[in-house]
Amino acid sequence: MVSRLHELTLPLTEAQVRVLNVGDMVTLTGEITVSIGIPTHKRMAAAVQASEALPIDLRGGAFFHLSTYVREQGGVAEPLYLNPSTSTRYNEWMPGLIEGLGLRLVGGKGGLDAASVRALKANGCVYLSFLGGGSPLLSRGLREVVSSHYNEYISQFRLLTLRVEGMGPATVAIDANGNSVYDQLMARAQDRMPAILEQLAQARQAAGTSPQHSHDPGKPA
Amino acid sequence: MPIDSNTIKSVTASLYERSLKKIPDDTRALLQQARHAETGDTARRTLTIMLQSADAARDDNKLVCTDVGIPTYSIKIGTRVQFTGPVRQAIVDGFAELAQHIDPPILKMVTNPLTHERSFAGKDMPLVSFDVIDGADYMDIVCSPKAMGTGRWEAIEAFVYPTHEVIEKFVLDVVMRAGSQPCLPLVVGVGIGGTFDYAARLAKECMLRPHDKHSPEPMLAAMEQRLKDAINGMGFGAMGTGGDTSVMAVNIDYAASHGFVPVAVCFNCWINRRTAARIHGDGRVEDLQW
Repeated sequence: MVSRLHELTLPLTEAQVRVLNVGDMVTLTGEITVSIGIPTHKRMAAAVQASEALPIDLRGGAFFHLSTYVREQGGVAEPLYLNPSTSTRYNEWMPGLIEGLGLRLVGGKGGLDAASVRALKANGCVYLSFLGGGSPLLSRGLREVVSSHYNEYISQFRLLTLRVEGMGPATVAIDANGNSVYDQLMARAQDRMPAILEQLAQARQAAGTSPQHSHDPGKPA
Repeated sequence: MPIDSNTIKSVTASLYERSLKKIPDDTRALLQQARHAETGDTARRTLTIMLQSADAARDDNKLVCTDVGIPTYSIKIGTRVQFTGPVRQAIVDGFAELAQHIDPPILKMVTNPLTHERSFAGKDMPLVSFDVIDGADYMDIVCSPKAMGTGRWEAIEAFVYPTHEVIEKFVLDVVMRAGSQPCLPLVVGVGIGGTFDYAARLAKECMLRPHDKHSPEPMLAAMEQRLKDAINGMGFGAMGTGGDTSVMAVNIDYAASHGFVPVAVCFNCWINRRTAARIHGDGRVEDLQW
């Protein structure tokens, strides 16, 4: 499969994200919204559940698990950097947010579970993998803070909307057609495991060092 | 001439800052090798971006990863060293001062596990382990800020007279459970034996070994190589989106144990935060190429 680079400008239509394939890379221009707060997710999910509007309209937009530091000096809010956080810890709330908010892009690192993969497919949304430890590059795309809500939280937990330009690249890791690179890789690793264990056994035998007799090997004490 | 608290304070703080802004040279070399050898398109691009990111942080005085983790230090004190003031408090003060003044500013990562309140300080923070070096007139300090996005997948389990097969299968199981979640390619540390806490410490300390060092035990050196090959065969790849290199190194150490043998497995993510310095008894500070 050939990886393609897409330069995306937000907001996006469903058709624009349906054509993105796992392994493609994207850069982003426009407005994105970020937070890594669990309280933030709970609050957003509760609002969706109660059919209450969020402080911002995310239809056609992007909501990412990216942490940000906003420096406030002289009444000016300056976003200093961006970096992804582990998305799976938000598994519980993401299907509801994907469906309820009309999102086209979500992302962070490490992927989302099967319920989110189904929600992404059903609603026309993709998951982007950002590089953990890619902060110096990701941050180059930062332009300005558009809005900041839930400001009683610490910086990285706030619901922050940022304007970015050419931010990325990020990798399409779960597409809008039910394909998750994470599920594919886990299944492949499990398929490979018998052969890997056999190779390990052969390498041990060649080295001839392992104790041959064991008292009940493998059983926890 | 004794070592004063101010030296300990400034050295521990500067090691922390350096860990955040520059990846170790030997780790960078392994990432370059991985990129050269990589057969997957996405993984090769990802490794390229990793190297660019590391270089940009170094050149522009930026944080490679903004999850600055929690500060951890391993300190070994020579028995001939004398101090003019406190050691532990100097480390606490050094971190507190750094958190106030570091540029760019860092996010609050230290979390009270009982209240979930976040700050730059907390009980037992920074985490410091101490040991002694008989007869030495210096102290060695290793700093490895720990971000738990990768650390959360570490594991420990006790086995009864485990064969090498059992130990190796456990390591693979722990890696499989982590899958694409940590920021791969990893450095894996494995501690075999001792007690519950000692096995974990062995794993952590050997994980921080320079990459040109292998276990001096031929039996373990061979296990390191075959486990590295086995894990890379699993195919999770750079950043867990598939590829040939899931692990840069597997480092293993052991200690004599009981028949019930704990095995600990720990991880460092691709930026492999580790820095070290030696403070000599006469106050000289030497950066250790770690």
